[in-house]
Amino acid sequence: MRVLSWMRAAVRNLFRREQAEAELDAEVRAWVDAVAEERIASGMAAQEARRTALAEFGGAEQVKQRVRDTRAGTGVQTIWQDLRFALRMLRKSPGFTTVVVLTLALGIGANTAIFSLVNAVLLQSIPVKHPEELVVLRWSAHKWPESPGMASFGDCKMRGDGAEASACSLPYTTFQEMEDRREVFAAATAFAGPAELDVAGNGQATIAHGELVSGSYFETLGVPAAVGRTLALADDQPGATAVAVLDYGYWQSAFGGAPGVVGRTIRLNNVVFTIVGVADREFTRLTPGKPADLYMTLTQEKSLGLRWDGDQNAGWWLTVVGRLGPGVKRTQAEAAVNPMFRNAVLHGAKPAWKAVDDPRLMLIPAQKGLMGFRGFLSEPLRLLMLAVGMVLLIACANVAGLMLARSTSREREMAVRLALGASRRRVIQQVLTESMLLSLAGAALGALVAYAGASVLAAFTSANWYEPLVIDVRPDAHVLLFMIGVALVTGIGFGLAPALRGARTRAAAEFSRGTTGGVPLTSHAGRRRWPGLGSALVVVQVALSIVMLTGAGLLLRTLGKLRNVDAGFDTRNILLVWIDPTLAGYDKARAMDLYDNLQSRLAALPGVVSASYSSDALLDGNIWTQDVKVEGQTSKQTEELQMLRVGPRYFETMRMPVMRGRSLGAADIRGGPPVAVVNQAFVRKFLEGRDPIGLHFGSDDKKATQWAIVGVARDAKYDSLTDEDAPTAYVPLAEGGAAFALRTAMAPSALIPGVRKTVRDLDENVPVMRVQSQSETIDRLLFNQRLLARLLGVFAGLGLGLACIGLYGLLSYEVTRRTREIGVRAALGAQRRNVLGLFLRRGLVMVVLGSGLGLASAAMVTRLLASMLYGVKALDPVTFVLVPVLLTAIGMAACLLPASRAMRVDPAVALRYE
Amino acid sequence: MGKNQTNLLQGTLDLLILKAIGDGEMHGLGVSRRIEQITRGTFQVKPGSLFPALHRMEEAGWLASFWGESENNRRAKYYRRTKVGARQVGIETKQWATIAEAMASALEA
Repeated sequence: MRVLSWMRAAVRNLFRREQAEAELDAEVRAWVDAVAEERIASGMAAQEARRTALAEFGGAEQVKQRVRDTRAGTGVQTIWQDLRFALRMLRKSPGFTTVVVLTLALGIGANTAIFSLVNAVLLQSIPVKHPEELVVLRWSAHKWPESPGMASFGDCKMRGDGAEASACSLPYTTFQEMEDRREVFAAATAFAGPAELDVAGNGQATIAHGELVSGSYFETLGVPAAVGRTLALADDQPGATAVAVLDYGYWQSAFGGAPGVVGRTIRLNNVVFTIVGVADREFTRLTPGKPADLYMTLTQEKSLGLRWDGDQNAGWWLTVVGRLGPGVKRTQAEAAVNPMFRNAVLHGAKPAWKAVDDPRLMLIPAQKGLMGFRGFLSEPLRLLMLAVGMVLLIACANVAGLMLARSTSREREMAVRLALGASRRRVIQQVLTESMLLSLAGAALGALVAYAGASVLAAFTSANWYEPLVIDVRPDAHVLLFMIGVALVTGIGFGLAPALRGARTRAAAEFSRGTTGGVPLTSHAGRRRWPGLGSALVVVQVALSIVMLTGAGLLLRTLGKLRNVDAGFDTRNILLVWIDPTLAGYDKARAMDLYDNLQSRLAALPGVVSASYSSDALLDGNIWTQDVKVEGQTSKQTEELQMLRVGPRYFETMRMPVMRGRSLGAADIRGGPPVAVVNQAFVRKFLEGRDPIGLHFGSDDKKATQWAIVGVARDAKYDSLTDEDAPTAYVPLAEGGAAFALRTAMAPSALIPGVRKTVRDLDENVPVMRVQSQSETIDRLLFNQRLLARLLGVFAGLGLGLACIGLYGLLSYEVTRRTREIGVRAALGAQRRNVLGLFLRRGLVMVVLGSGLGLASAAMVTRLLASMLYGVKALDPVTFVLVPVLLTAIGMAACLLPASRAMRVDPAVALRYE
Repeated sequence: MGKNQTNLLQGTLDLLILKAIGDGEMHGLGVSRRIEQITRGTFQVKPGSLFPALHRMEEAGWLASFWGESENNRRAKYYRRTKVGARQVGIETKQWATIAEAMASALEA
């Protein structure tokens, strides 16, 4: 009721102000008239009666103003006034406004850009109906399960350290049991993948990513079809027709968005699938960073030639996601499903655990549990958020410095306002309105910076990812709220000091200063605060710049060291080409023929020095390890061995010298007794000085292949550049896909078209899965360091630039302010050198203070980077010395300009200054 | 002048105005004179206090206003109490009684 009537009044006051004013005027006049008339009636002269009535009324205008002040909506009106005034003020000093808005745009833009990425990677909710009802099933036990083969596709984090093991991979039977628990789950689905599939029947054979999902997948997630239908339970029955649903984006890119796609057939890994529909446009992924092009049912696993399920359908290869029934709490559901799960894993045909291992099933909110690439990106993103936070602080400090300088020149204005009766609150409000306006303008411009920046970052991330990656950085409500929040906090952040300062202006002191606005020599006493605060702001900027420069320096040094790591083979000029003819239906023998053929054709390409192939590429993030026993080994334990299947001339092509014995030739690859070349680490760690040649090694199971060592190759990096050389064995490649390696005599990228054509000419149905140079795969391994080094470099440069502007601005201001003093000094015989020194010293003090503070902070902050550093300590002396030296040099350069201006002050002119 | 005293006086003024208007209709000058009368001349409310108070109370919905003819045939703005205003009299009277009692006992102690 009260609120309503207040609002009505406010609306009237704001929009029908003239009427309200007229009424107030009439009311006042009525009073005065009434009193006057009474007095006239009692015999007073008309003029006298009016005069006294008015006098007793107590100043009509003051009374009216007091009424206006109490009116509803006065605040809104004041804000509107302040806004218009602020706009006028800012228009009057376009230089100041431009610098401030640009600075803020960079600060706010950089923050928003990084936050967009954080939002896209860490915060965006799953694009399905009611994602909060979805839970992902995760088992946890004191140790890894005994029997089942476990497959994971990066949906969840797997943990197997110390006393606790846990993962999301579960067997089909668990999924079935969950699906039947209708009192717990409204629906449930299981999925695995994506698999790289050979797509034929749609032009040139290509590679697509296909997710295997249960028939209930789309229904559980509540994802409708954009065209045709989604998968249904019937599609997932044994013997059902092979059908596929397309991802909306894939439909657009690979089929041009043709609606006639429904009913078409394509061949996936040489099996005919009918396309039945396209999934909804909004549904871009379930797990962050794991998009799929096609969805097929789980029952197609075998026909696609995938062997994820293990023997007798007992493999743990599925991720299970359930939608909680209405009103079912996660804890209740957990309690309901656990007895069943424990019974199955403890007392099944092949128990996975013993009761002491305490296996249990947890239901994790899908938003949290489905990690995808969040696990990889969260650390660098957090660090980047910290870095842009510093950029924003620098920008704030910078703008605050400018505002302070300006507020000094506006002290007279403030004094006039205060003298005319403005309350201090009102003055603060006015100045804050100005800074808010500035920061909102900065945010508006920053939005452009942010969108451009975020797109570049997303592209950089995608280009360096293992699979095609969609990062949606379109601004959403989160991003907008964040940006507005940052803008408001920033506006208050840099506006508060000048506002308070404006409100503290002493009117009397201002007016006694004369009319020119110059500063008398003796007036320092009352204005000590400004140089102090201004210098502090510059010191803060320098310190924050140092922190960022140090971080960037450490990462750059790390990258330098990493690039100089001896990989054990020549990593330059290698082009890698991945193909997998088994996807196109090749059997082992035909695949080997194809490899032979391709090897000779590729080697014959102009610009190719030599060609070979292996099961995986080195330094590509993939590794195959096996537990083996070595002939004559004393300990009972098996040892972990890195293994790689290779083709003929592999060592020659990679320039990985064979130190002893011989390398693997064509005869070894095509049949013959199983032989292997091991590396030096193998000899060092397993053989204790015995002669390796002729020794056998292999899995503990004596029926499995036992390889005879025929040679020893030099140690080479396989898994990562930073790991210590681990025992590795190279064995003949006799099955599966291959990564061809071409040693080139020119830039590897120049060969790509020729290579693709060669493969196509050989068999159009064999798609090239990926082409990359070895240096590109290495770059991808160093993704975190490169991303952070680049961005920190950019941010540090930005910060440094701003700090220099701050330093320059402060000194320029001081030179102007002290022109008279300088003139007097010069007139009294001060040397120009002395004047120059005076200001340089002042700048140097700030830079040195800032550097000291910055180094101390950096020493604390760089520890956060420790996990990404290599060959460089978090307190690397080189970086910690070079950075402040560099900064001091640049800082001094920034001081030189104003200082030299001070030096050139003409005493005669300076003394006539006022 | 301390803050409490101002609040106290402001609260008192609102109550006095509501009381002065009573169930009748009154213009500003009338309210001022009526207050002087019912407080036996103790409070003389100046327009500088009265006008803001009247407008504030109107916006709060305690008073309603209309333009009418005054005794000497002039247009004047008349105020009357709304239902909310009448209820407010009860509330403010109670508050004032509490304060008065408290003050009395404090002064006697």
